[in-house]
Amino acid sequence: MIRLVIEKELRDIISSTKFAITFGVCAVLILLAFYVGGKNHQLNLSRYEAAKAENLRKMEGLTDWIRVNSHRIFLPPQPLEALVTGVSNDIGRTIEMRGRGELSSVDSRFNDDPIFAVFRFLDLDFIFQIVLSLFAILFAFDAINGEKERGTLRLSFANAIPKDKFILAKLIGSFTALGVPLLIPILLGCLLLPLLGVYLTDNEWIRLGLVIFTGLIYFGVFLTLSIFLSVLTKKSSNSFLALLVIWILAVFIVPRSSVLLAGRAVNVPSVDELSYKKGRFRAQLWKEDQDKLGEFKPSTDKDPEEMVKEFNKFMQELADERNKKLQDYSNRLNEERCNKQIQQERLAFGLARISPSALFSLAATNLVGTSIGVKEHFINEAHGYQQSFAEFMKEKTGMNLGGDVILFRMKKGGDEEEEKPIDPSQLPKFEYRAIPLDKVLNNSILDIGLLILFNLVFFVGAFVGFLRFDMR
Amino acid sequence: MKTILDASCWLFRELDKISSHLINRIINKRYLNPKKMFSTLIEKELKSIILGPKFLTTLVVCSILILLSVFIGIQEYRAAVKSYEAGMQLVDQEIQEATSWMGMRNRIFRKPDPMQIFVSGVNNDIGRFSNIRSTEPIKLTNSIYSDDPIFAAFRFIDLSFIVQVVLSLFAILFTYDAINGEREQGTLGLTFSNAISRFQYILIKFLGSWLGLVVPILIPILISILLIIAFGIPFTGNHWIRLIFFLGISVLYFTFFVVLGVLISALTKRSTVSFLLLLVIWVTFVLILPRVGVMAAGKIVPVPSIAEIDGQIEGFSKSRWDEYMKEIEKKFEQRNKMMEGMTEEEREAYRDKHMWDWMQENDALRKKLQADINKFSRMLHKDLRNRKTAQERLGFTLSRFSPASAFQLSAMNLVGTDIDLKSRYETALEEYQKTFVDYVEKKQEETGGGMGGIRISVSSENGAKYSFGPDKGSLETSDMPRFQETKQSLSSVIKSTILDILILFFYSTTAVVGAFVAFLRYDLR
Repeated sequence: MIRLVIEKELRDIISSTKFAITFGVCAVLILLAFYVGGKNHQLNLSRYEAAKAENLRKMEGLTDWIRVNSHRIFLPPQPLEALVTGVSNDIGRTIEMRGRGELSSVDSRFNDDPIFAVFRFLDLDFIFQIVLSLFAILFAFDAINGEKERGTLRLSFANAIPKDKFILAKLIGSFTALGVPLLIPILLGCLLLPLLGVYLTDNEWIRLGLVIFTGLIYFGVFLTLSIFLSVLTKKSSNSFLALLVIWILAVFIVPRSSVLLAGRAVNVPSVDELSYKKGRFRAQLWKEDQDKLGEFKPSTDKDPEEMVKEFNKFMQELADERNKKLQDYSNRLNEERCNKQIQQERLAFGLARISPSALFSLAATNLVGTSIGVKEHFINEAHGYQQSFAEFMKEKTGMNLGGDVILFRMKKGGDEEEEKPIDPSQLPKFEYRAIPLDKVLNNSILDIGLLILFNLVFFVGAFVGFLRFDMR
Repeated sequence: MKTILDASCWLFRELDKISSHLINRIINKRYLNPKKMFSTLIEKELKSIILGPKFLTTLVVCSILILLSVFIGIQEYRAAVKSYEAGMQLVDQEIQEATSWMGMRNRIFRKPDPMQIFVSGVNNDIGRFSNIRSTEPIKLTNSIYSDDPIFAAFRFIDLSFIVQVVLSLFAILFTYDAINGEREQGTLGLTFSNAISRFQYILIKFLGSWLGLVVPILIPILISILLIIAFGIPFTGNHWIRLIFFLGISVLYFTFFVVLGVLISALTKRSTVSFLLLLVIWVTFVLILPRVGVMAAGKIVPVPSIAEIDGQIEGFSKSRWDEYMKEIEKKFEQRNKMMEGMTEEEREAYRDKHMWDWMQENDALRKKLQADINKFSRMLHKDLRNRKTAQERLGFTLSRFSPASAFQLSAMNLVGTDIDLKSRYETALEEYQKTFVDYVEKKQEETGGGMGGIRISVSSENGAKYSFGPDKGSLETSDMPRFQETKQSLSSVIKSTILDILILFFYSTTAVVGAFVAFLRYDLR
């Protein structure tokens, strides 16, 4: 009998106009998201390569590494970030590399091209979060009370079928009828990627698979919730109204309000405030060092070259000490800000996790590597690279300079050897490593778990509610 | 007994006469009289809306959302003002503490506008400040979202978002069964048994739904305005006018969805079908078309990235500096040649005599170099802006097929948080940069230059000698030019929104006409 009800449910859904229209819309949207994502990735990749080449090109012709006063590294575009954009367009993607000191990322895509910030992008996160959840509601809001209104519920129970099996069959039927057809455009979209020249690694396929899996669980949440509410209410119009309000709250309101409320509740010191404090401290240290300069006494006052050598050594020691103090102070300030940010993030996402949409979005962006942690990860990667860059510059110039240099060189006579230009390709390459899979899984497991829990809670609610449901 | 019976009969006859007379009067007055019928049906429509669960839900949800968005907007605005003031104060302090005019820099922060409470637009996406110095092109950097990506994760909630997404959905919910729902319930035929024209009926339907939705929105909006006053947000007359315009556009946008609902319900027989159709249209208009339009423009009109442009400028700058250095070296050699055969004293005297001219010569070369670099940078940025403008025009033209885009764009234009905000600011800052650089150079000339910082000289005769720049606060900066915000005039703001308002008006009128025509042909059975 359970098979029969599932079959009936499948037939009811698949043969309806509603299904034809929604499936058509979803299929077009999903394919469009994959197509646009693939094309965007290609465009971003070509821009990234051009920017990298330009960075090296501007060094060509220089005859001394010390004159390389601008070297930039860029956050490489990841293929999956075009499918789940997250905050990848909001964060700075360029870092001006220096041998030491703090690094900061600038030039976010939305700052460079605000046109894309107005409506943002069409990606899988958006389609699952907004469109598919709405369609799940549309199909299941009258799953039980609609049958009662049409009189088919009593008819079904004229047969020998227990209530628990009926509700289970309803759920399985709805999920299969709606979820499985969705896999078709998704699979087609996956096939489209290599055709567009976007080749995913095994690791990326796993991530994409997990995003789709999470999306289906999220879809299930709205399906079970709809069935649950259709059991709780007598009229299908009431269940639809209630579901629509829940949908608006879950998708649009709770996530945004949570972050904004957390922003007000936890006061994180601003970047400007920190930079001012650091500037003040730097000036104070420099003042102290100015006083110390008077202490310098050269061992000889006859040999100017020796004096300069001694003086440089003295200055280097002062600079090292000053930088260490400045670094410690900056680290302390950054750590304080970071702790406050973590506190704010915990509160914001803790509140937002009431909404299944926020859970899906957080899980998907974490899996793909476009969550809010990507900025910190990029800067950490850049700090790793900074060490090899500093070593390289020290090897080439004998110095590790932290800032811009104006070099004046005087030629004596014309019999000097013609200086050879530097080879910019010798520069160590910045290899960005995406956040590892095990880490992203760790980060998203809570959200996926909560989504599964939501499914269970709503299903149990629907189950219990239906056992008490008055079928008259 | 007979008298009693006669009296009773007479009483019944009289009562019957009175009741018949009353009923006829009522019928004549309210149902056979088309004017009375009109008001009765509006009354009925309003009652059915107000007494239904939809109205209560809409009222509660809209009130919570609108008040929450305005409250959060006010808090965000106040935080932005605080941050802006702190930033400017820090910059002032840095300037006052500077010890040399050489390399003097300024930093200008973007001033928050109170209208961002209602429409945040791209305010949080674009940079908050730009450095002002001769050697650096103007560029707004450090957006709120890039500094604190947590706020970018789900973005902001403002009144324009609520109108665009939530209210349009509620408008559909109120009207999807306006005509076919009545037919399904059998009340449509009943209504038309009275003296009412189809034209009047559809007008009633439209007015009833419209009033039933506008009233629950007006209440929280009026409270929001009180909140603005209560929190002391500095709203000028210009702001109030813009807010009124924004509310007017919101009503126009919302009217479109009300009319669209009536139109689709007049085009379809079953309310479930009309709802499904409306939902698909809503998804397409509100969520899909705006994005697709802009994304298509991104593909059709490619624009180089800022990193590429910066790289090109740096490349040019590097080659010009190389040329400059070669020229300086050449000049140095020429000057040395002129002094060949002179004694040390003669050389010293010659140098003293010509030093100022040489410095002027070198400075002129450096200025020419900087001017060349700036010219090249401006040329590339102009080209970039032209391309971006072409991309924007195409993107917005395509997305304007959706009334939601037209609404969003007009709201952003009205409030001043549109995509031109960045270029407007950068242009104004470029103007200021010229004034600032001229001022600094003039000051440098007046004070005789000076590198600032520390100067070290090491010689075999005198050993090591140090000299420091002037003390902090020794520079006279009180007459430094200040950046003045260029406010958009109300007429230019309205001019920029007129196209979108016309589009919204066109869509609404087309939907109204469509609804009337569809209902005139509607089968009432």
